[in-house]
Formats: sequence, C-alpha cells, structure tokens
Amino acid sequence: MITITIDGKEIQTEPSKTIIEAAFEHGIYVPHFCWHPALSISGNCRMCLVEVEKMPKQVIACSTRCMDGMVVHVNSEKAVQAREAVMEFILINHPLDCPICDEAGECKLQDYAYHYSVGESRFDEEKGLKRKRVALGPRVLFDAERCISCSRCIRFCEDLAGYPELTFVERGDHVTIETFPGRQLENPYSMNVIDICPVGALTSRDFRFKARAWDMSETPGVCPGCARGCSMDMWVRQNEILRLTPRENQEVNNFWMCDRGRLESFRHVHEETRIEQPMLRKDGVQLAVGWDEALAAAASELRSWKGDTVAVIASPYDTCEDNFLAARFAREILTTQFLDILPHVEAGDQDEFLLREDKTPNSAGARIAGVTPVDDAHNLDSIVEGLQSGKIKAVVVSDVRAHEHAGFMQALGKAQFVVAIVSNASALTERADVVLSASTFAEKLGTFLNFEGQLQLLRPAVNTTENERWMGAFAMSRLDKFASEFDRWGRMKRYDARSAGRVFSLLAQLMGGKWGYDHPEDIFEEMAKRIEALHGLTYEGLGRWGVRLGSEQPGHLLPYKYSDVRP
Amino acid sequence: MEVRTQDKYTLTFWEKLYIPEILKGMKLTLEQMLKKKDTREYPEEKWVPPPSYRGAPVLVLERNGVERCVACGLCSRVCPALAIEVQAAETEHEKERYPELFEINMLRCIFCGFCEEVCPEEAIVMSPTYEMVFTRYEDAIFGKDKLLMSAEELAPRLEFLRSHR
Amino acid sequence: MDFIDIVIALIKIVVMFAVVLVTVAELVYTERKISAWIQNRIGPNRVGWRGLLQPYADVIKLVLKEDIVPTAANRFIHTLAPIISIGVAFSTLAVIPIAGETISMFGREIQMVIADVNVGVLYVLALTSMGVYGLTLSGWSSNNKYSLLGGLRSSAQMISYELSMGLSVIGVIMITGSLQLTEIVSHQSGWMWNMVLQPVGFITFVVAAFAETNRTPFDLPEAEPELVGGYHTEYSSFKFALFFLAEYANMITASAIIVTLYFGGWQVPYLELLALPTGVVVVLQILAFIVKVAFMLFVFQWVRWTVPRFRYDQLMDLGWKVMLPIALANVIVTGIVILLIQ
Ligand code: SF4
Ligand code: SF4
Ligand code: SF4
Ligand code: SF4
Repeated sequence: MITITIDGKEIQTEPSKTIIEAAFEHGIYVPHFCWHPALSISGNCRMCLVEVEKMPKQVIACSTRCMDGMVVHVNSEKAVQAREAVMEFILINHPLDCPICDEAGECKLQDYAYHYSVGESRFDEEKGLKRKRVALGPRVLFDAERCISCSRCIRFCEDLAGYPELTFVERGDHVTIETFPGRQLENPYSMNVIDICPVGALTSRDFRFKARAWDMSETPGVCPGCARGCSMDMWVRQNEILRLTPRENQEVNNFWMCDRGRLESFRHVHEETRIEQPMLRKDGVQLAVGWDEALAAAASELRSWKGDTVAVIASPYDTCEDNFLAARFAREILTTQFLDILPHVEAGDQDEFLLREDKTPNSAGARIAGVTPVDDAHNLDSIVEGLQSGKIKAVVVSDVRAHEHAGFMQALGKAQFVVAIVSNASALTERADVVLSASTFAEKLGTFLNFEGQLQLLRPAVNTTENERWMGAFAMSRLDKFASEFDRWGRMKRYDARSAGRVFSLLAQLMGGKWGYDHPEDIFEEMAKRIEALHGLTYEGLGRWGVRLGSEQPGHLLPYKYSDVRP
Repeated sequence: MEVRTQDKYTLTFWEKLYIPEILKGMKLTLEQMLKKKDTREYPEEKWVPPPSYRGAPVLVLERNGVERCVACGLCSRVCPALAIEVQAAETEHEKERYPELFEINMLRCIFCGFCEEVCPEEAIVMSPTYEMVFTRYEDAIFGKDKLLMSAEELAPRLEFLRSHR
Repeated sequence: MDFIDIVIALIKIVVMFAVVLVTVAELVYTERKISAWIQNRIGPNRVGWRGLLQPYADVIKLVLKEDIVPTAANRFIHTLAPIISIGVAFSTLAVIPIAGETISMFGREIQMVIADVNVGVLYVLALTSMGVYGLTLSGWSSNNKYSLLGGLRSSAQMISYELSMGLSVIGVIMITGSLQLTEIVSHQSGWMWNMVLQPVGFITFVVAAFAETNRTPFDLPEAEPELVGGYHTEYSSFKFALFFLAEYANMITASAIIVTLYFGGWQVPYLELLALPTGVVVVLQILAFIVKVAFMLFVFQWVRWTVPRFRYDQLMDLGWKVMLPIALANVIVTGIVILLIQ
C-alpha cells in the first residue's frame, strides 16, 4: 500500500495501479478518450494529462503508475491548460458534423468541448477531408473525419472479442481506420465498438438517423436474447423501442452485448405479427374479442379437462413471476402434473465471452419458479407422447416460440383444445382455440434468472393498455410527458396485451381459484416466501444489477462502477 | 437601495375648481378628433412586416430544390411549445441526412424564434407570414409541403439574421 | 279634451317615440365615431354607408341573443326594472316644448309640446328621480353582488345630485316666476338665455345632469373594472338593449332639459325682427331646438371620452361639499339680485 494525493485528497492505493485507476476507484473523474477500464492501455489521446509535482512535464494519468508520495493535480492551472491544448488539437480536424451525427447528445467529445475546451479555435486553415459513410461491416458505419484515433475500437476487437479485424493505416493527420484486407468488421460483438467509440466515428447502420438521443426514454432492462441476460437499456420513442445498448453490469456482461441480442431480441415487440387483442375460435374462425369474453371462454372449456388430460407449457421467455403463476395454475387449478418448458438451444453458438447456446433468457428462472416436472413421466417428452396418444386433450401454451418445435407442434395437432398466451402470431396461434395476447419482456415488470444464477429486474419500457396504470414505473421522455391527444407525435401504438402471469391469475380466479395478483411485485413477494432460493429478496433489493443466487459470488472486473464516476 | 420620496402634489386654486382643467382636456381631445387617423383598414390594406418580424417559421428551400435542413432535431428540442416534429432519414446528397417528416403545429407555435436561433444550418427561419387561419385542427399542422419557402423569398430575413449575428 | 285632441296627442307621442328611437340608434353610432376620432381611429365604417347602419346591426345582434334570467333572480322585478328605466326616460320628454308658435290645423291651435303642464319643472325633477328605481331594482333583483353594488351606487348618487339639481333650477324659476316649461322658454327671448343670467346655476345643473344620466365621469354604477358592468351584469338580449336604450334616451332627455332651461329652448335670437310666416318660424324654431340638443349630446359624448371616471369618495365629496353649497349660494345671490333690481 502506498499513499498518493490527488487534488488534495489522500488515497491509499497499490503501485501496480495507474493514476487514472486510483482516481476512478476513489470517485475522482479524470477526462479521457482512449482509456477504457476494460481495455488495454494505449495512451494516445493525451486527454488525461495531469500535473504531478516534481515531474518536469504533465503526464498521462492512464499509463503512469502510482508511486508513494505522489502529488497529483487534475484541476490545477497547468493541467487545465494542457487539456485545453489537447482539445484544441483534437478539434482542429474534427468536422462540424454534430447536426448530422448520431452520436450528438451522448458524445464524449461534445461533452468535453463544453467542459474542458476554451470554446473557440485559432485554426483557420482548411480542415482535412476524409472518407465518410464507410461501411466497415454489415452493421457498423465509419466516418473517418470524426475519428479521433483513440484506438478503442481496434483494442476491443483484438483483446476482448478476439477477432482482430480493425487497424490504423496511414500516418500523421492522414491516419484512419481500416479493416484488414479481405476482412470486414462483422464479428458477433462488432457493435460494441459503437458504444465505446468516444465520438460518432462508428455508428449503427440499423439505428442510423432514427432518433436523437435526447428524444428517447431510457429504461434499464435485461436482454432476452440468450441465457446470459445481458444488462441493457431500452431506448424508446413514441412507444417504440428503437435500439438497445449494453449497460454496465460487472456481474453479467461488463460493458458489452452481442450484436444479435442488440438487433434481434426486441424485434417481435413491434413486429407485424404482434397480436393486438385476444382472439377466440367461433365456428372454426378466429375472431377478435374482448378480454372478458376470451378469458371466460378459456376458463369454461378448461374446466371440463381437469386432471391429467390437460398440460401446461410455460415459457422460458416469460418472467419468473409469470412462470410461478403458470405452475400454480397447472397444479392448483387444473390439478395436472403435466407441466414443462420447451428448450430453445442452438448447439455450438456459444463462446467464452457472452454468447450462450440456450437462447432463452429465463429457463433457469422458470425452473426455480416451479415449472419443473415432478418426474420423467410428466416431462416434455411425456406431454408430447400423451398428446400423440390422445391421453392429453387440452394444452395451455405460453411459449411464444413454441412453433419452432416441429415435434411438439405436430403433437399439438391432436389436441382438442389449445389456449395460447403469446405475443406474436405463429403456427401455434393459428392452431389455438383461444389466443390471449400476452405482453413482451419490454412491457412488464418481473425478473429473469440467468444461467449463472444472477436474478435481474426487468422494467416496462413500452406502454400497453394494461401497464398504463403504472405510469410511475416508466422512464418518460419529454415527448411522453407533454404529448396531447392532438399531437401526431403523441399518437402512439398501444397493444391490448397482458402479462402471462396476470392471465394465469385471471383464469385461476374464473375457475374458482382463491388467489389473484394485480401487480408483479405482489407475486414476487409471495415467491420470496415460498421459494427458498429467493428468501429475503425484494424488487428494491435487486437494484440496478441484480443479485447472485447461491453461495458463489461473481468476481468483479473493477472495484468500482465506471459509469458512476462522473465529472 | 436609494429611496426617493415624492411629496404629495398640491393643486392650485384653478386646478381645484376642476372645470378649467376639464375644459383643457376637452380642448386636447377636440384637437385629436381633427388629426389624421392611424387606422389601417386591414384586409384591404395589407401590412408588410419589416425583416425583424417573426411570422410563421418556415424551412428554407435552396435553389437546387433541396431543403437546407439536415433534421438535426435541435429546433424540435429547443422549441418551448413542442411544436416541431422531425424525423430524419438518409439521403444521397452530401448532407447525408434530411427530414423525411417535418411538421410544425402552428397552434402550438408561439413564434418565439428559438428554432431559428438554434438552427445550425440557417434552415428554419421566421417568415413574414402572419395570416394563419384554420377551421380544422389538422390544417394547423404544416408539413414540408406547406413549410418550404425559397431562399430568394426569404432573402430579407436571411440578410437581417446575418447582420445581427 | 275631445277625441281629436286625443288623436293629436297620440300622433305627437308616436312621432316623438320614432324620433327618439332613431336618434338613440344614431347616438350609439356617433358615440363610437367620436370615441374613435378622439383615439385617432376611424370607427365603424363597414355596415351601410360610412357604417351608418352599424347600430341596427348591433340591435339585431342584441335581440337575437339568448335572454338569460339568473335562477336566483326575482323574475318579476328583474323584468320590470328595464321597463321602468325606459318608461321614465321617455315620459320626461312629454313636457319639453320644441317650438314656441302654434300651428293651426283641423281648426285648432296645436302646441309644439305633448303636455304643457304648469308644474313642468317639478314633473321633470320627479320623473328623473323615478329613473333610479329602474337601476336600483335591477341591481337588487339580479341577486348578484356586483349588480347590487351598482344599484346602490346609483341610488346614492341620484339622491346626492338630485339636491343640487333642484337647487340650481330654483334660480331659473325665481327669474321666470313660473314652473311651466313653455313659460321658461318664452322668458329667454333674444340673448337673455338663462345660461347667461345664471352661469353658476348652469354649471351646477349640467354637472348634476351628467350625474343623473350616469354618464362618465359619473358612470360609477356600471364601472366595468370594479363591478363588471354593475346593475346590468345579469342582463342580456332585449332587456339589456332596453337599458342601453334608456341610457341614451336619458341623455336626450337631459340635453333637451338643459336646452329648455338654459339655452332658450326653441328660441332663435332676433327671429321676430324678420317677420316671417308662422310656418317658417315653427320650422326654424324646431331646427334651432334640434341643433341645440345635438350640440348638448355632442358635449355629453365629448366629455365621456375626455374625462376619466371619479373615485366614489370624490363623487360624494363633489356632490355634498361642493355642488350643494354652490347651488345654495346661487339661490341666495339670485334672490338678492332680484330684490335689488326690483
Ligand atoms: S463525434 Fe461528437 S463532436 Fe463530432 S460531430 Fe459527432 S457529435 Fe459532434
Ligand atoms: S473509430 Fe472511434 S473508437 Fe475507433 S479510433 Fe476512431 S475514435 Fe477511436
Ligand atoms: S435545427 Fe435546422 S437543421 Fe436542425 S432539424 Fe431544425 S431546421 Fe433542420
Ligand atoms: S418559433 Fe418558437 S414556438 Fe414556434 S416552432 Fe419555433 S421554437 Fe417553436
């Protein structure tokens, strides 16, 4: 242990740490572009220049190691002057692109230009012209003029993702980024460079020009793309998710998420196939009906199939709360033991970094919530068998991707009565006698349990007619707050959908059950009482990053939260 | 703070009598009656606003038939009345970005001119248009079709803006 | 009094009504025009030639509006009040002589006055005080605090100024020695108008007349800023039109009385020297009367757009502490002068 002083504050640290690490650990912000706590050190932006007493020149905090008795000034006159000079140099060739730059509003360079720059330039020569709108890969667009050559993107691909695809070419003010000959920036994590690029040099082709950062609301959520359950933010404008970005969670995904999760996991929320309201089969034709009618029809039909002639297929895409009620509904109301989930595994699509073969976010959660077959005679295989043999005559399915299981779907053809509680139309809903429009992961409160045992809270980002009542629970943008019924930008699409848990709860009540829950938090309270692994947990206790169940606690990359240290 | 006191004004004898003062007042109004009138008979006699006038905000159309706006959304952000909606999209032109949708709700607009002030492209300016009458709510929402105005037409205002930067 | 007398009286009444109604309408027009001119505007000029038909458009608009009687109002009195106002305003005109000579027709001498009562002055004073009932009752029956305040103000104001008005007229009566209005007019031949003989009385009378007609600067009963219209706040449509009409009719009445008492009524100075035929003389006298009344009406409106409204305490001070003593002194001085001359 050594002692250093940063801006008058005495800090205990280790000689192996750099000044910037020591500062961040103790909540002192040092401006920086190229340094990133999860990447290797390159020290080429010079933004983190600090004054160290007895050193002849200012030094870069990101690659100077701490020494006992060091006295560091981050905000002394010399350090400020040095930063201003660096900003002036960086801005010399930076285009005045903010109006057309997707990064504007969340741009480090923009922010620093306000915080640490003098606000004017002495450079009256022509700015350098470089390539713009370069497709580095299928998902990422590059603007050479905006690049400040920090090399974060190069280091990410090489060090972390393990796909060396990018490099610097040319020298001096001609320096720019290229992919290696014959290669493209197309690794499964390529879009993370967009987030770490401190400027708008790398932007998303998918999100391009869709919305301004400040026009969207930002709701913390959990990616439903695979069993990793990366923490992410859902960016919503006019009740539509426009993009997902990874959220720092050192217990799950650090700062990253995969491209597939980022681009595909939320599509079904706004897809054409979305079911807008409950449907009921009458004389062979499916008709859109109200909730009361659909629920009553489902309940009255199910009443005649009690016992082991009926099966429930819960969903690993639904929350623990939904699954908990699915299990109770099956066991207590339908009195059947035929209860399981369908697996969704893509063998081989897994690596050490993030990706998991299990493409569902909550298989572990469904299990822990009670969707566990009592024995082999009641698991999925037995259910399929029972359907084939005609022993099982009615099925309640809440798995939105059940149609991907050919065997199951074929067996389902034999069933006499099918209730589907799903959000999107598929072969399943075509077959179903009652379709109850379910809400998606983006529209409800609940919890996901990942494969490692991290229990994370999911918050609603998109309005449905049901969750409108929980306005307090929503992140709201300025547009959401002030829209009147006359504003076109306020007329947003809302689906008449309810969470699967609520549907099970309503069905149970209609069928004589003595329980019912209005709010997911009540369900979780009940789960915390009944399920040992969840004892003592509350939504509030889950916090921003969730809680690791079991005895094994995760190791952390950093002893602090990078995104919490602010200027 | 300096405090100044004003003594009560005491009326003279003649002023106390009222009548002479009233007669003075009546003389004044009589003079006014005979003066030239200031009324402008509006619908027949139109007023031409000076370049400093802030009428309806419009989008500047360049000579090549393309609007200047790059759909940066700053006007929409700064607008205190939330009158502007912009949806950006990609264009082949050099500017990369253009407004696929640009709507100003003239019933929300308070003609403050903030949008004009914030625009980095001098693409939205306050036109001299002051006659806006609507009979349906939808008519008050101006799309690009109604908002685009040629740069020549807006020359006085653009000139004014440059000279007062 | 036989049948023909009654017919003649009826004709006179109808003619007088028609003339006053048209005048009222055009007074509204001149009011708006004069205010416009004083404020450097043009005024109404859209309806009819130079906007002359504007008041008729206004009347049509007023009458077509919904007639609202507040639920809490006393219906009967609420309806009665405007009728009293308008009735009183018109009745006063009955005793005003508009020409001195008589016309022979149907073998009768027809006087140019509807009723030549011998207590004309008292009749006028009595009726004008009746007018206050209209306002007070309307204010009370509306069951609205603003209206009530308006009504109260008007009665207090009337009583205060009635006194000085009466006292001012005493000077005139002393000089003439008669209460009959025709007498009073005849007495002011040549330039011997009472305005000249009674300058102080004239001023107090005119001021009191302004107060009696509720015109600015004495329009406190309907002060918009404080009372939202005062006694007529709760009136709409035709009843409001009646109040409106009454205000302007009152103005005509007041002008006619001022002209009769102080401007020599129909007198045209030195007309008798020309020895014209009676018919022409009558016409000239009527014209003179009209011109004088028109001038007074103009003064009424002119003052309205010049002088701001008094404060209520100023109004009362003026009435009791200034007007009353001056009017009293005027009576005494007149008496002394008459005694000295005799
Ligand atoms: S990178 Fe940042 S500073 Fe540069 S143009 Fe984009 S928003 Fe502006
Ligand atoms: S593209 Fe972005 S991350 Fe990559 S070097 Fe340039 S500025 Fe840095
Ligand atoms: S500020 Fe200017 S450039 Fe930006 S969206 Fe508005 S009009 Fe277009
Ligand atoms: S003038 Fe003001 S209120 Fe109107 S659109 Fe522009 S910023 Fe909005």
